[in-house]
Amino acid sequence: MRLLSYLGQRLLFVAPQLVGILFVSFLLVKLIPGDPAVLMLGPFATPDGLARLRTELGLDRTVVEQFLIYLGNVVQGDLGTSWQTTMPVTSDLAQRFPATLELVTLGLLVALAIGLPLGVAGARYKRGLLRTGADYYGLLAGALPDFWLGLVLIYVFYTMLGWAPAPLGRIDFAVIPPEPVTGALLIDSLIAGNWEAFRSAAGHLVLPVLTLGLINAGPILKMTQATTERMLDSDFSRYAELCGLPRKVVVAQALRNALPSVITIVSVLYGFLLGGAVLVEIVFSWGGAGQYAVQGVLNADLNPVLGFVLYSAVLSLFIYLIVDLLYFLIDPRTR
Amino acid sequence: MTTPVLAVEGLDVEFPSYGEAPVRALHGLDLSIGEQEIVGLVGESGSGKTTLARAIMQLVPPPGRISQGSVSFEGRDLSKLDEEQLRTLRGRAMSMVIANPRSELNPLLTVGQQIGNILKYHTGCKGRELRERVIEMLKEVRIPDPERRYDAFPHELSGGMAQRVVMAIALICNPRLVISDDATSGLDVTVQAQVLELLKRLAERHRTAMLFITRDIGITAHFCDRVAIIYGGEIMEIATRARFFANPMHPYSVLLLAAFSHNPKLRSYWLKEGEAAAEARPAETGCPFAPRCVRVREHCRSVHPELRELEAGHHVRCHFPVERRA
Amino acid sequence: MAMARDAGARARGGSRRLAFFMAVLRTHPSFALGYAIVLMVVLLAIFAPWVAPYPPETADPVAFLQPPGWPHLMGTDATGMDIFSRVIWAPRIDLSIAILGTLLSALIGTTLGALVGYYQSVRGLGRFGAGFVMRSADVLQAFPVFVFAIALVAVFGQSLQSIVLAIAFVNAPIYLRLMRTQVMSIRTMRYVEAAWLAGMPDWRIIARHIVPNAMAPVLAQLSVNIGWSVLLTAALSFIGAGVKAPTPEWGSMIAMGYQNIVTGHWWPSIFPGLALAVTVFGFSLVGSSIEVLSDPARRRRLAGRLETVRGIAP
Repeated sequence: MRLLSYLGQRLLFVAPQLVGILFVSFLLVKLIPGDPAVLMLGPFATPDGLARLRTELGLDRTVVEQFLIYLGNVVQGDLGTSWQTTMPVTSDLAQRFPATLELVTLGLLVALAIGLPLGVAGARYKRGLLRTGADYYGLLAGALPDFWLGLVLIYVFYTMLGWAPAPLGRIDFAVIPPEPVTGALLIDSLIAGNWEAFRSAAGHLVLPVLTLGLINAGPILKMTQATTERMLDSDFSRYAELCGLPRKVVVAQALRNALPSVITIVSVLYGFLLGGAVLVEIVFSWGGAGQYAVQGVLNADLNPVLGFVLYSAVLSLFIYLIVDLLYFLIDPRTR
Repeated sequence: MTTPVLAVEGLDVEFPSYGEAPVRALHGLDLSIGEQEIVGLVGESGSGKTTLARAIMQLVPPPGRISQGSVSFEGRDLSKLDEEQLRTLRGRAMSMVIANPRSELNPLLTVGQQIGNILKYHTGCKGRELRERVIEMLKEVRIPDPERRYDAFPHELSGGMAQRVVMAIALICNPRLVISDDATSGLDVTVQAQVLELLKRLAERHRTAMLFITRDIGITAHFCDRVAIIYGGEIMEIATRARFFANPMHPYSVLLLAAFSHNPKLRSYWLKEGEAAAEARPAETGCPFAPRCVRVREHCRSVHPELRELEAGHHVRCHFPVERRA
Repeated sequence: MAMARDAGARARGGSRRLAFFMAVLRTHPSFALGYAIVLMVVLLAIFAPWVAPYPPETADPVAFLQPPGWPHLMGTDATGMDIFSRVIWAPRIDLSIAILGTLLSALIGTTLGALVGYYQSVRGLGRFGAGFVMRSADVLQAFPVFVFAIALVAVFGQSLQSIVLAIAFVNAPIYLRLMRTQVMSIRTMRYVEAAWLAGMPDWRIIARHIVPNAMAPVLAQLSVNIGWSVLLTAALSFIGAGVKAPTPEWGSMIAMGYQNIVTGHWWPSIFPGLALAVTVFGFSLVGSSIEVLSDPARRRRLAGRLETVRGIAP
């Protein structure tokens, strides 16, 4: 019951928060020098045509008016169009957001698969080669630029060894992509039973997912190690040892008590990577949402940027709700 | 003579002190506990009580270490066992009841899981039988409504309940020796009496030997077969309960008993003048108690007294033991 | 007399602190590595014109995409510029931007954080202002960091100053929060209350009593943050929103060599990335060494260990 009222309260704060974030982005993009009308019509536009387009786009009104109009449209599910792609932002994002989500989700799963066991091992053995290795890995992963690591992987596994497919998008050009249902190619090709597409999509995912996984395992490792170590030093772990519980069990219990912190760091990384994976997307020509937003910023294309901000804010919110639910499941004290 | 359940011989525990000689928390400590015997160990904080408990379990908190002497459990020298063999002893053959179990219980596991885990990992018992035995144990430590408490979390327990849970954990495997480390110190006086009564009854029923560590010499009077007094990491006096209370011989023992007396004259006679005396650290040379002793003489400050048997089964570490006055 | 004794004591304290520091380096060789890297990068940035064998922006159209060897140690890029010289020149730009941006963000963040922390529990306008600053920080931090940084550079116009400002903006909330928590705990201390009761004006209490005592975690954060800022600068340049080619900068160098990777010419991208990674690694090591050195508990433990193990007085 406490959970339900808590969720209610959370949702109550969401709407004003979203409007605030949207307004700031709106102002920010409006501040970027560059007249969309000029950019859209090109160098041969007549002054008359420019003026007409400006009125049509509402550019002659005040910024606040423009924002209110935009908000009104958003409520009706209209996020405007991008003048670069000449498509509605909703349909652009329907295609690109799942691409980013698929990449980021798998990347974080790999990061967890690397960081969690290494972190636990580092906490369990306070000295020795494993711990030193884990410490260095944590620092090094934080120091490597992800876009550069992507390039290194491309060089080794595509150029030199020829194991990976060319870093050009999510699926081979020759392969017919599956009918979009969720937008995630792996899932869609499974639904369609299209094995060729599945294999190709999986092949294209390996390197970018590995890039994100290797880099983001760093913070997960550090957090897991630090909290598990603290839990192993805590009174209940000492007591468990005093009661003769096997070391394995003591470590497992410490890890379970450390899980909330690990979940927190994963959720923070998730929110960060929605926009932060853009560099990896560029390196692998992924065509994801981050790339879409960056192109929007660089070309004074307002609607894609706002659409991206809106989508990622809603998604982050959703993630934080899931995190709260997980806390609720793990820790009886929150019930 | 049968082998005692626990035999501690000449035990030294040291904590390295940086740049100086290591601090000796325990010094040449001898103690044995026979089958089903309850030995009370009385001392103030810092006297080495808890260190002794940990040393018996072979879990001296680092960087401390056992530098000399031995601990034998049922005739087996524990220092010769490997970590895995020790682990199977801890919690099963010898277990500990700790004080103030707040942060010692895992906040994420239910009471039932935590008691059950001990049984599960020591005996392999599981499933329905495990649950039944845990609930049986909960009944034994007098936890009301055990079926429901089985699924309670530590934060839902009162201090007295948590203390009972810890006792259940200590006794679930029918250990041969239970060490109770100041187990009742955090409880209300009324609850304390109940818990003590229960502990004694359980020790009898499970035929368990017990080392009962406490700061409260009064408790040992109704509880223990023998009483030992520890000061500065050394046993000062050890005797059967009857002899000890009839004829305490060490000035420190008398001081501890006098603190309970209703006679203010008696109290003030044995308490050395000045705040500093009460705070004084045990002496390095000579008798450790010398700085606080009202009967101290020159000899006490230079020569370390040995533990001497002054009457049958009554050992005292004092150059000038207190004579009983008629 | 007294002054001379003071100076002597200070010098002794200084040399003891130095001895402690050296001892820490000896037990943590990785920290020494960190300081060595940072020192080397800083020296390269200063002495690049004398160290680099070639001018960094002059292309040799004949010698393009030369593999690493002699005379081009790290080869040349697609336009024929010497990569080794450019890698050596790059920290001039990267470090200047990162250090300036980080210092600026620390200045903005700690000032605001001190004010917010101090006035948060005061009724009226102060509390309202503090709330407003914190909510604004919430909104700023809700943005995807990278998109936000690009947008800021775009708003200010693409120049070095804009990158510095973008870095300052993106990082300021970190210092804001750090300082706020510090100040809130220091504010309740006796000596602050005493100063307040003695009628000292707010700004003097903040400047004299609060800020100096709250700075330790900020300093530890600075080094780590310089590393991040170097990464951010390079990332901005990589997508073309930061430093423009041909100015020697690691990120833009990686971007320039990016097309050549698939054809097997790895050196134009790999070397600058390696230099970038090593630099950031060095700064994170220095950051964690400061963390260890300024944590009193760890310091005591370490001092004890050093003393017993090596016979060195702390």
